[in-house]
Amino acid sequence: MSFFLVMKAEIVRSFIIMRRYWFRTLTGMFIGYGMLMVLIAGFIYSRPEMEEGLNRFDDPTAATNFVLGFIIGMFAFGVVGMFTQGLQGMAATGVLEQLCMSPHGLAVNFMAQTVVGAVTSIISSGIMVFAVTWSVGGMLHWDTIPILVLLTLTFFNLVGFGFMVGGLVLVFKQVGQVAIILRMGLFALAVFAREEILDQPWPLALMLHLLPITDATICLKYVLIKNQTMTVMGPDGETIEVFRSLFLYPPFYWLIASCVLWTFIGLTVFRFMEDYSRSKGTLGSY
Amino acid sequence: MTDDYLVELQDIHKVFTTRHLLPVDEETRKRRLFKKRDVYAANNVSFGIRRGEVFGLLGPNGAGKTTMVKMISGLVRPDKGQALVDGLNVDKKRKQVLRKVGVVLEGTRTSIWPLTPLENLIYYGMLKDVRGKLLRQRAHDLLDFIGLKDKKNVQVRRLSRGQKQKLAICIALIADPQVLLLDEPSTGLDVQSSRAIKDRIMEMTRDHGRCVLVTTHDMHVAQELCDHIGIINHGKLIACKPTEALLDVFSEQVFVFRTDKAPTVAPFAEIPGVVRADLEQGMDGPALVVHLVPELEARSAALYAVTRQLEHADVRLRAIAQRQQNLENVFLRLTAESDLAESQ
Ligand SMILES: Nc1ncnc2c1ncn2[C@@H]1O[C@H](COP(=O)(O)OP(=O)(O)OP(=O)(O)O)[C@@H](O)[C@H]1O
Ligand SMILES: [Mg+2]
Repeated sequence: MSFFLVMKAEIVRSFIIMRRYWFRTLTGMFIGYGMLMVLIAGFIYSRPEMEEGLNRFDDPTAATNFVLGFIIGMFAFGVVGMFTQGLQGMAATGVLEQLCMSPHGLAVNFMAQTVVGAVTSIISSGIMVFAVTWSVGGMLHWDTIPILVLLTLTFFNLVGFGFMVGGLVLVFKQVGQVAIILRMGLFALAVFAREEILDQPWPLALMLHLLPITDATICLKYVLIKNQTMTVMGPDGETIEVFRSLFLYPPFYWLIASCVLWTFIGLTVFRFMEDYSRSKGTLGSY
Repeated sequence: MTDDYLVELQDIHKVFTTRHLLPVDEETRKRRLFKKRDVYAANNVSFGIRRGEVFGLLGPNGAGKTTMVKMISGLVRPDKGQALVDGLNVDKKRKQVLRKVGVVLEGTRTSIWPLTPLENLIYYGMLKDVRGKLLRQRAHDLLDFIGLKDKKNVQVRRLSRGQKQKLAICIALIADPQVLLLDEPSTGLDVQSSRAIKDRIMEMTRDHGRCVLVTTHDMHVAQELCDHIGIINHGKLIACKPTEALLDVFSEQVFVFRTDKAPTVAPFAEIPGVVRADLEQGMDGPALVVHLVPELEARSAALYAVTRQLEHADVRLRAIAQRQQNLENVFLRLTAESDLAESQ
């Protein structure tokens, strides 16, 4: 209940800021689009074998794959950033102290802020994904329910991780710098995550599953790019494509597990760190 | 424990430990990597604030005033002891307590700079569960009252320092709190505004049964505004009395004898009934300042004796005046005494 009250305040606030800085919001999206196009061109043409590059360009899925990974990566980078940069910024401006003194508690306030932030960023990156894939001639497949479920799960996956890092930043303000590296790592993971990277010896595969963005990206790519079809061996040894719903796709369950795990770890660490910071007397101050 | 205390601190202890990296210790000249230092921010502090009371917390820099405010608002947890607001333990019932308190922390950066004062108030009001028409009405009223009427729709980043401080005070008042904690609220405020705020605070507390804790370095404000004053030094509460009683702590009477030339002080200090005698150099010549005991008989005898002694020393007397005891003097003497006690 109290969460929705805080949400409302956050929505009002971010709406005002977005409207006030509409020019920045718009140019941000244009720049994002431009950068992506340049990156895709670079990604494709930087291959030493020009021919292969050209071939790849003929295969729009490669580009789409990359774009989608890139945007999910940006999203992960952003969501975790709200906990690190955002927290540091608010500490520096003194707003954090006010949030700590809000009766709803810091964690709820933070959650509301990130939900609102994530929804805005999903909308704007959604527009970007479609613009870019359309420009490179790729195709994305839309299936409303799985996509909404996936976006929500992806978000909580990241928020759990974010809460953990945020808790650390709350106490050790210097962690903010280290966190950039973590965020870059997440970003890279999202760009390169595809089913094939899980073909590893099991300890490594397990580690990949435990990382917060791997399965989310794989699932999103499965729905949006592969249109929920799987390649299976036919009875006569030939390969056939069959439709297999997301809800029967193993990485989806890995994603749920990872969500539960990270939400638990994140909230526990955050609570603990908030408490610790309160007894050290540095809660809310920079 | 009386239940009409709205805010109560019981045996609060808080020690801050800082560790810093040192190649060489400045004091002992020894090589060491870590130096640990303990700072007492609260040392067995207990006091209470009743409904309808303005409590002033005074103390030199680093005495622990801000820490005290933060402990009541749940930003800092005491090592020992407990803080109660309306009978609720701040640490255990934080959410309920926070609905009852409004806080202005030191520094002006509490508001969100890209928003206007009005939007700030709406945002913070919503976080404190004030909604709808009531919230808008109250936001407008507060801004009108505090003198930000024509700045309602200007982004906070474009406001002056004093205007930001005013906004911070409005933010603290937006949920109409029962307990108002003000940490150096008058920094950067002009005379008219601080007077208006003072009046408002008085009205709020007296008529609506609220209570206010204010820390300040301005002794005049404290003397005028506060019903009860606590003085804190190195985390220790060295005095906590109603303002009147505090002014009477050094109840000996102080008299100033302005003369044409400086007399020798020693004989005056020996007169019975004289507690202390000092020589001061005023703008218009020297002045003998004597502190006398309060009892009438002894005081009278001492006053006669001092004038006789002055006459005897062949000093011409230009004027005699009684010096009013003010909070500043009391504050300075009390803190000096506690510093002395500390160093022994
Ligand atoms: N988080 C902290 N970590 C370590 N030491 C701290 C911390 N917060 C405060 N202190 C120390 O505790 C003491 C009391 O600080 P506090 O801010 O309460 O003083 P103050 O009375 O408000 O002073 P001022 O008049 O300058 O505002 C100071 O010596 C300060 O250095
Ligand atoms: Mg202070």
